[in-house]
Amino acid sequence: MAAIGSRSKLGDILWPVVAWTVALIFFFPIFWMVFTSFKTDADAVKPEFLFFFTPTLENYLNMTENYDYWRFAINSVITASFATIFALAVGVPAAYAMAFNPTKRTKDVLVWMLSTKMLPAAAVLYPMTYLTKNFLNIFDTHFLVILVLCLINLPIVIWMLFTYFKEIPKEIIEAGQMDGVNTWGEIKDILLPLAWGGLASTALLCFIFCWNEAYWTVRLTTTEAATLSKLIEGNRAPEGLFFGRLSAVSTAAVGPIVVLGWFCQKQLVQGLTFGAVK
Amino acid sequence: MNNRTIARLLQTPAVLLLLVWMLVPLGLTLYFSFLRYVLNSLRKPEWTVPQLSNWRGFGNYEYVLYKSKDFWFAIQNSLLIVGSILVITVVLGLAIAILVNRSFPGRGIVRVLLISPFFVMPAVNAVLWINMILDPVLGLNGLAIEGLNHLVAGLKDFPILGHFFALWPELEPISFRATQTSAYAVIMMVAWQWTPFAVLIFMTSLQSEDQQQKEAALLDGASAWAQFVYLTIPHLARPIAIVVMIQSIFHLSLYAEIEIVSRGNGNKNLPYLIGEFTSNNIGAASATGIFAVILANIVAIFLLRMVGKNLVD
Repeated sequence: MAAIGSRSKLGDILWPVVAWTVALIFFFPIFWMVFTSFKTDADAVKPEFLFFFTPTLENYLNMTENYDYWRFAINSVITASFATIFALAVGVPAAYAMAFNPTKRTKDVLVWMLSTKMLPAAAVLYPMTYLTKNFLNIFDTHFLVILVLCLINLPIVIWMLFTYFKEIPKEIIEAGQMDGVNTWGEIKDILLPLAWGGLASTALLCFIFCWNEAYWTVRLTTTEAATLSKLIEGNRAPEGLFFGRLSAVSTAAVGPIVVLGWFCQKQLVQGLTFGAVK
Repeated sequence: MNNRTIARLLQTPAVLLLLVWMLVPLGLTLYFSFLRYVLNSLRKPEWTVPQLSNWRGFGNYEYVLYKSKDFWFAIQNSLLIVGSILVITVVLGLAIAILVNRSFPGRGIVRVLLISPFFVMPAVNAVLWINMILDPVLGLNGLAIEGLNHLVAGLKDFPILGHFFALWPELEPISFRATQTSAYAVIMMVAWQWTPFAVLIFMTSLQSEDQQQKEAALLDGASAWAQFVYLTIPHLARPIAIVVMIQSIFHLSLYAEIEIVSRGNGNKNLPYLIGEFTSNNIGAASATGIFAVILANIVAIFLLRMVGKNLVD
């Protein structure tokens, strides 16, 4: 805990070394997964090839045969994208109304929306299965996965958009109203261009949450609409002999999202703490 | 139409969707929790259909509370897992946030490396840790212990010093697939994933700390420790509370990690127990679900109060 004035020479050298060491330790499991993905399944469990081995792309090239990777990946892309689009389509008008025409109840509505996020999913698992299987006949469809992903992320989307919209001066919107622009025009021509950055990061974060969701996507699908979470979860058994291929498919499943995540660190804080930490 | 009507109309789809999403499944869970309802029953086939004539009152609740010994174990285990994760992530998160709050070469890269685990999907996190890192034979856990034993065995051949190392026992790698150890495995992997979250939030908050106040304290001769205890900790009180509450809500419904790590070995938390009941006894599953909702609500009320207060009218 070096204070501002008490920096010593030793501290100046030691501090970055400690910080880098901690960071590398935290990153190590991810590094190890990527590293192992270039080993053959046989090499991956041999201590003599722990660090030195002949790298191979075989695991990536065989991903389709071994795991049918692309089918699951495409399902993940489809469901996460559409869920994000729908969440924004429903969320933007709602957040717009709450930010620019707040009533006495707006605060309560926002807090209530958040409270729906806190319902433990396991508590309503069976009713969801029961309804979607027996009555609605939408079990294991893309439609269902998209709907559920959209609903579980809607509170966060509205909350994030609300915090962004609130920062836009009300006068700009009111000026538009004076000029006789209708509501749709206000949203499309005034609000969206101004809140573009906030909108993009909200979408990005929503997409990441959809992609990583592991409860509903696993429980409400079997084959048709199964996503990458389901694929990985299905390979939970001790697969000692398949570390190489398992690493490759895992890397392919998380790689794009980890990289996307690097770009929205700041928004993550806002999105996950609902603007309570600045 | 005036503005108010339009505003109300614009909110309607979101409100309606969330209302249905919240009320319908929860209402059904509540209804099922008062019924005798099982998926398979040769003796009483009428119990396989949810209907009012199978009304059981609070029977399912009594069954869960008093007759199924798993319930209290699951509650205890849920609290053990959530509590341990909270302590680890907050302490580590604070330390690391302070560590990277100072400028040094490559700070940007360090931040990127630190935050990465948070974006790994839970299923991959669990599969990666339990197989490649913690497996007692093939994982790094096993390899490291084996290497250590090898090293000690080599040292035994040294003159004089060898007598000392000869006293060392052969080390056994810990297996993380037993009931209690697999709970530790879950704690480890979730703490790895969520410490970055705590770091990120504490870091954001540290940047808004009043530097002038710190400099004034320095001029008054306050030690670094005193500054930390009397200035930084009070400044971080709110973010710490938020980290604790958000994580509690997420980790109380932990599922994927438990399922992957400890399938069938007896390690369970509340959501996992509900999953087990769901394979046949829907009545008990629903009653347990209602308990889970109550538990989550206790935490949620505090969080919502805090977040709600923050809204600028």
